[in-house]
Amino acid sequence: MAGGSTTTVGHSYPRMEGRAKVTGRAEYIYNMRLPSMLHAKVHRSPISHGRILSIDTSEASAMPGVHHVITGEDVKKVLPEPYYGPAFHDQPILALDKVRHFGEPVAVVLATDPHIAETAAQRIVVDYEELPAVFDEVEALTSDVIVHEELKPAGTFADLKHLAGKRDTNIALDYHLQHGDADKAFADAEHVFEHTFRTQQTMHTPFEPMVALADVRNDHATVYSSTQGPSFVRFELARLLGWPESNVRIKTAHLGGGFGAKVYVKVEALAMALSLIAHRPVRVALTMEEQFYTITKHPSTFRIQSAVDKDGKVIGRKCEVWWNGGAYADIGPRVTQKSGFTAAGPYDIDNVAIDSYALYTNRPPAGALRGFGIPQLVWAYESHTDIIARELGIDPIAFRKQNILRNGRPQAVGTIVKDGEFEAVLDGVAERMNWNRPFDKGSGTKLRGRGVGLGFKASISPTTSSAIVSVNADGSCIVYCSTVDMGQGSDTAMAQIASEVLDIPIEKIRVVNPDTDVTPYDMSTLGSRSTFHMGHAVRLAAGDARDKLHAMAEEVGMPEGSNAPLPELFIRKFGMRAGAIVGSANYIPEFSPPNYDTGQSTNATPFWMIGATGAEVEVDTETGQLTILRLVNVCDIGTPINPIVVETQISGAAVMQLGFTLTENMVIENGQLTNPSLADYKIPGFFDMPDTMENGYIDAVQENGPFGAKGAGESGTFGVSPAIANAIDDAVGVRISEMPITAEAVFRALREKQGKPLEEN
Amino acid sequence: MSPFELSEPQTLQDAVAMLDASDTGIRPIAGGTAVMLMMKTGIFQPDRLISLRGIESRYSEVSVDDAGDLHIGAMTPLRRLEKSEEAAQAAPVIRRALRRLSNVRVRNVATLGGHLAHGDPHLDLPPVLIALGARALIVGASGERVIEIEDLFRGYLETALAPDELIAEVVVPAQGTRRATYMKHTTRSADDWPALGIAVSLELNGDEVGSARVAIGAATDTPRRLKSVEAALAGKALADETMQAAGDAAAAEAEVHSDARGSAAYKRELIRVFTRRAVRQIMEMGTGGAV
Amino acid sequence: MGGQKKTIGFTLNGRRVAADIGVHQNLTEVLQEEFGLFGARESCGQGLCGCCTVLVNGIAVTSCLSLAAFADGADITTIEGIADGETLSAEQDAFIETGALQCGYCTPGFILMTKQLLDENPDPDDDAIMHYLSGNLCRCGAYPEILKAVKLAAQKRKAG
Repeated sequence: MAGGSTTTVGHSYPRMEGRAKVTGRAEYIYNMRLPSMLHAKVHRSPISHGRILSIDTSEASAMPGVHHVITGEDVKKVLPEPYYGPAFHDQPILALDKVRHFGEPVAVVLATDPHIAETAAQRIVVDYEELPAVFDEVEALTSDVIVHEELKPAGTFADLKHLAGKRDTNIALDYHLQHGDADKAFADAEHVFEHTFRTQQTMHTPFEPMVALADVRNDHATVYSSTQGPSFVRFELARLLGWPESNVRIKTAHLGGGFGAKVYVKVEALAMALSLIAHRPVRVALTMEEQFYTITKHPSTFRIQSAVDKDGKVIGRKCEVWWNGGAYADIGPRVTQKSGFTAAGPYDIDNVAIDSYALYTNRPPAGALRGFGIPQLVWAYESHTDIIARELGIDPIAFRKQNILRNGRPQAVGTIVKDGEFEAVLDGVAERMNWNRPFDKGSGTKLRGRGVGLGFKASISPTTSSAIVSVNADGSCIVYCSTVDMGQGSDTAMAQIASEVLDIPIEKIRVVNPDTDVTPYDMSTLGSRSTFHMGHAVRLAAGDARDKLHAMAEEVGMPEGSNAPLPELFIRKFGMRAGAIVGSANYIPEFSPPNYDTGQSTNATPFWMIGATGAEVEVDTETGQLTILRLVNVCDIGTPINPIVVETQISGAAVMQLGFTLTENMVIENGQLTNPSLADYKIPGFFDMPDTMENGYIDAVQENGPFGAKGAGESGTFGVSPAIANAIDDAVGVRISEMPITAEAVFRALREKQGKPLEEN
Repeated sequence: MSPFELSEPQTLQDAVAMLDASDTGIRPIAGGTAVMLMMKTGIFQPDRLISLRGIESRYSEVSVDDAGDLHIGAMTPLRRLEKSEEAAQAAPVIRRALRRLSNVRVRNVATLGGHLAHGDPHLDLPPVLIALGARALIVGASGERVIEIEDLFRGYLETALAPDELIAEVVVPAQGTRRATYMKHTTRSADDWPALGIAVSLELNGDEVGSARVAIGAATDTPRRLKSVEAALAGKALADETMQAAGDAAAAEAEVHSDARGSAAYKRELIRVFTRRAVRQIMEMGTGGAV
Repeated sequence: MGGQKKTIGFTLNGRRVAADIGVHQNLTEVLQEEFGLFGARESCGQGLCGCCTVLVNGIAVTSCLSLAAFADGADITTIEGIADGETLSAEQDAFIETGALQCGYCTPGFILMTKQLLDENPDPDDDAIMHYLSGNLCRCGAYPEILKAVKLAAQKRKAG
């Protein structure tokens, strides 16, 4: 299916929803209001760990205009087991008995006026017995502070079942991989290297904050939500209610950003429970601040060791990764495992040992964020790889190419690499950076350096996408799928695919907003899986419709090649403009589950995502201040469905990772999150952009992908952080091993190197 | 936001009369950018706001008097001040500092009076105006008084203004041949609150510094003069050693604290570097008139 | 509770309108709840992201930090008011053509600021564009494309 000439796929169509977005008329759930709805305002925990002794709601309840004040105990009366979560049923809809992180929802005020709800929520008084808290992932491994008394796996994932009922541990999942004999490799090695790298807690900050409106009446629940995963939300709410999934309806619109923040259940269960209690529609609309308490990116610690032979070949690598999952597991255990098996990097290493742990702590929960743990790993393994190259006196790109993973070779998980253009991606960066030409290293107090980083990711697997394509009697077409367009341009891509298969102009194709009563199942819009999985489902569904159209044409005496317009076909068949031809399809890629003891699988992923970044930086040695002179991002995304959208995806991913690398950091002091706002949690703006930025993708074909395509939403994040750290090392000879890379960290390292360390305060 | 009441007086005198020295639940609102932020976060829940938007238009004007002093009405939006040719002539450092002050939308509505009365040490114009030797005309129930801008700031969000006093006007004295610059530095993203702002105003006599006024903001509890830096510059040759000495004096004098933008030790280094760079910048401006 | 009310009258996208509001309500809220205009939207709530930008008497303001009471008598333009019927403005066209939007949440704010910038300075260079737009944030990171869009919009306006 790859290659060949296409008329719609592969062309840079402007986004279908562009006009709606530039006129301010695009539909977002945050804009929605329901008749007679109540506004909810959440009262949140001011401490990170404690027992709830009492909740006094009297003053809040007494305020005019307040309809209800609801606590966890109230929720329990209507939903006896009010816990949710994709991996563990560990998260209460409202806190019960304990709070486990700063900002955890404890009670809710419902009022017709949102200002009244807000004021009343401040008047709820909660008495806590504060408990010691644990915030660091490594400490959590051995800490006396236990975040959850008992582990409650959801049962969704077979490999978590052994944890059911386990007590006195903060380990939500441990994942191990053995490939070859790492111990022997280290014993045989000429050189052994060991480093530890850390990453901080960050947040997605989607600009449309999370929002859900629930309307539960009789035996039917309708929830309008800014979710990335309507099918999962339906599944989870139906489970909580004990109802069939057909009685729960989840609708979405365009999302004002997602980046992984809006996968699985976020505010939907709360909205549903509140409507169930209040017997009225309820709107739960978070503020930017509240999003920081809801979901974040895992902080991590990664100890990495390499065994290298005398020729500079990496013969063994040991990886220990600790993931800080915060107070509730969310999808953290999946991050631990799915990222876990790529922890040794995009290299052909015969002997690999990986131990990866998901830990509970008293931080706000961590889940998926654009890369599913991969950027944390690449930060470590590409910094480590660079240090090795420098210490061995080998050019960093030459060293990588000497060890790089190539098609036909097994990755550490045991799967033979296919359509993984690691070397071409690295070459693409090197060429754009003129790596082999002399580089101006600056002078005086302004020194320059350059560095690269190369990362990769396996697709989440096995997952299913379903699609329906309906051809109308006038020749127009509707695509029904549950992929959520949150800015990545999926509606446009799906329309292009349907257009291509059916030979219907893209202007006549509409992609319906996900609505679980209308659009069929999709695992979720996450992990760069939609283009591949839903792309296939739409392609197959459109093909099904096309076959039916051909059959109909033949039936009415218009055989292939007669080229009759579609409307004429329908008139011939139905006697007037009537009827519809409906195609449908399910798509699930092939997959072999990994062996539990060794982690090995012969087919762990349907495709590999690959991204590399090259950075040129200038360091002001008097302040440590960094200027990113140039950022080059090159990815293997197969063959793009829509080149311009793919380029902006790569660019946007790199910009986001630039923020995580340099400025973004959730700071917890004395058990309190000190900076839950854009005033103090600094995301990149115009003046934080590199002086020049180039984004591209290599010529490649994903043979098993729809029209040769594969995912592109995350690959631009992979290499950014280590490329910058490596460039700093190249410029001034200091190594930063903890993100974010602040000017102060660079300055302190410089002073350390000069033997004049800066005092602590 | 909790409900409150709003009064919209038409004169400054009426506005002053509506304030109450003993009731901090009554507050003036001008552009409102800072007050709205405090109300939205619940830090400040007023009973009544007194809008100054309707007061006499002369409090929104910028002019230069016969003596060359620049008069800026307290209700002048920062963007109007930025665009004012009179201000740019009298003290070009004001326009340059404004260009990187917050953003265009804030400057469109935030007023100079509100900017100063807020008392936030991270704001940009306090050190600039201190270095320029500016003063404020204050109107209260008991009459008018004049206060040097350097004496306005008493602590974090605390000023010398009584709850029933308003700033009516700011006067920047004629700068003669003095030249000034302002350097601000952010340590996180570019649009962050500054980690420090340094304003330096020098009178140059050939290759020698006559008198110096140096003020710091953001890094210290309040915007303030750095008198040891002024002493290190006054009467000295404009040479590297002088700049170095000024930087060292600044780092030694400024009392700084660790916060999210950097440790105290790091900020002292930044102060050293940026004070030196500010003095150097003035030197490199050449001798062509006021800047 | 409920607080003090006020009746305000103003021009909204060229039409005279009136509304009864609470004096504590901000302008974003009133545009949404009273007039069904959602193009100005609150995101950061602190004047940093620019998602709630509207034009009041010809100048751009942060509507989530503006009291609606102050709109009394003003002339207000929102993103919904800058197209000429079905014909998009030069800025709107330019943002679509350059792909300068992803999730679209910040887009109306960027477009209104672009319009303001080009009204003030028809031929801005990169530095002028960045200074003017530095008070708007795009979490999808479309800054390079936005820079292109502003330049294209400037060309389109000059071409008439």
